[in-house]
Amino acid sequence: MMDKLAMNKPSMGKNSTQHKQAFDEPLWWGLFSAGGVCFAVFLPAVILFIAVLLPLGLLPAEALSYERASTLLFSVPGFLFVGAVVCLPLFHAAHRLRHGMFDISVGNDALNKKLMYGGAALLSIVALGLVVAGMLG
Amino acid sequence: MDKLSTQRLPPLKRNWWLKHRFFKLYMLREATVLPLVFFTLCLLAGMVALLQGADSWQGWIVFMGSPIVLLLNLLALAASLFHAATFFVLFPRVMPIRIAGHSLPDQAIVAGQWAGVVAVALLFFWLFGRA
Amino acid sequence: MNTEQINAKNVSTKHISVKRYMPDSSAEPYWQQYELPVDDSTSLLDALNHIKEQLDSTLSYRWSCRMAICGSCGVMVNGIPKLGCKTFLRDYEGEIRIEPLSHFPVQRDLVVDMAIFLEHLAAVKPYLIDDNPVKPYDPQAPETYQQSPEQLARYKQFANCINCGLCYSACPQFGLNPEFLGPAALTLAHRYNLDSRDHGKKQRMAELNRHEGVWSCTFVGFCSKVCPKHVDPAAAVNQGKVEAAKHTLIALFKG
Ligand code: SF4
Ligand code: FES
Repeated sequence: MMDKLAMNKPSMGKNSTQHKQAFDEPLWWGLFSAGGVCFAVFLPAVILFIAVLLPLGLLPAEALSYERASTLLFSVPGFLFVGAVVCLPLFHAAHRLRHGMFDISVGNDALNKKLMYGGAALLSIVALGLVVAGMLG
Repeated sequence: MDKLSTQRLPPLKRNWWLKHRFFKLYMLREATVLPLVFFTLCLLAGMVALLQGADSWQGWIVFMGSPIVLLLNLLALAASLFHAATFFVLFPRVMPIRIAGHSLPDQAIVAGQWAGVVAVALLFFWLFGRA
Repeated sequence: MNTEQINAKNVSTKHISVKRYMPDSSAEPYWQQYELPVDDSTSLLDALNHIKEQLDSTLSYRWSCRMAICGSCGVMVNGIPKLGCKTFLRDYEGEIRIEPLSHFPVQRDLVVDMAIFLEHLAAVKPYLIDDNPVKPYDPQAPETYQQSPEQLARYKQFANCINCGLCYSACPQFGLNPEFLGPAALTLAHRYNLDSRDHGKKQRMAELNRHEGVWSCTFVGFCSKVCPKHVDPAAAVNQGKVEAAKHTLIALFKG
């Protein structure tokens, strides 16, 4: 039985596997993994300081004043910050949402893929564009 | 091959993950990206506000302080920590680090990653925390 | 351990519900309860054998080695894939529900059709693909090809698989899409890719780097939880993703 299968499979598999190569998946997975690291390592502190302590008024007044926030964000380190805290985590989220939708049988994967990764790419460009606009303006 | 071997089952129903605790935790792990997306959109709004000027920036901070937004972002904070806890243990299994033929113990790699989280938090404290 | 503990057999009576399916007599599966005496050393396979011999000879199930090595006695116990011979009834309080392995077509009672599993195993060429010169054809060839303990250690864990298929019953991605090569096949591919004597990685990569190869895996990780041999198939599959990514990069630069 095994022999018969082993004989059958490669011959019919050869052509079909070659054009079924998923050359895009390594890219999505790489972005997902990098985003996962950023989500885990950077986001706890980022969320704590920017989304919790800042609005609660628990940071010193000038810590994120308009002037200081602008200088920090609209700079090369700010650009990198946005890459690590916005763009990569967005691709991480896109990947998990795409697979999550497959898990609960929502939509079809080919379309979900375009929507999710497309959305992440679009928002990433907007985010990085905002930093560049701030640096120029 | 007999005809039975070509038999195929219908795929799982969409509620398969409700049947076992392990799968529920898996779905929770996957769902950590939902509050993450919310926080990211908030952050994007903040960047737009910063670009518009001092008044919008103040307005954004007020918006971030509204109870629902604050609550969702606290959820995002919890999600990021849960994600970290689940993600860090996967790392040594996906990329086992071998030094001189011996693999580094998993706990060391996990601890190293948590040290990274703490280091980033300290960096933020150094940047924003001091009066 | 003192003699008293060894002698303490704790004989009791337990109820086992088995999901029966006999296509010749009824189109629908149904549950049947059995009551049998068990002690501390009664495995689930012992219990099934007891049912077959003493209570109901119509029950069908697979087994052979009764020592967790042939991989044929897999069933679902309270919804979790287990080897019958490695599962002890002393560990179960209350009801014990036995079903055929999930995600495989049922042929009869606890017997499932594993053809697709075997197809997936065969697809990754799970054997040494070796283009080293050998003695009969090349006098210059060495007597033997040696492997150091370090080289063995790289793949040893992944070579412990007994092809029981429990991980396929644990894997929702296989349940959602049976074309997914699945944990054991991808692990076996990785095992041969890591073998210093093998030269077949390129051929296997073509199978692995497909949507139905490593990329269908979302690291649910339940496969590794249920594996009776601690193979950690989830780790192997995800190491396979790293390899597939490298393979893609190389293919990209070579054009
Ligand atoms: S990897 Fe483990 S669970 Fe899967 S077939 Fe092999 S021994 Fe069984
Ligand atoms: S009877 Fe062989 S593994 Fe259980």
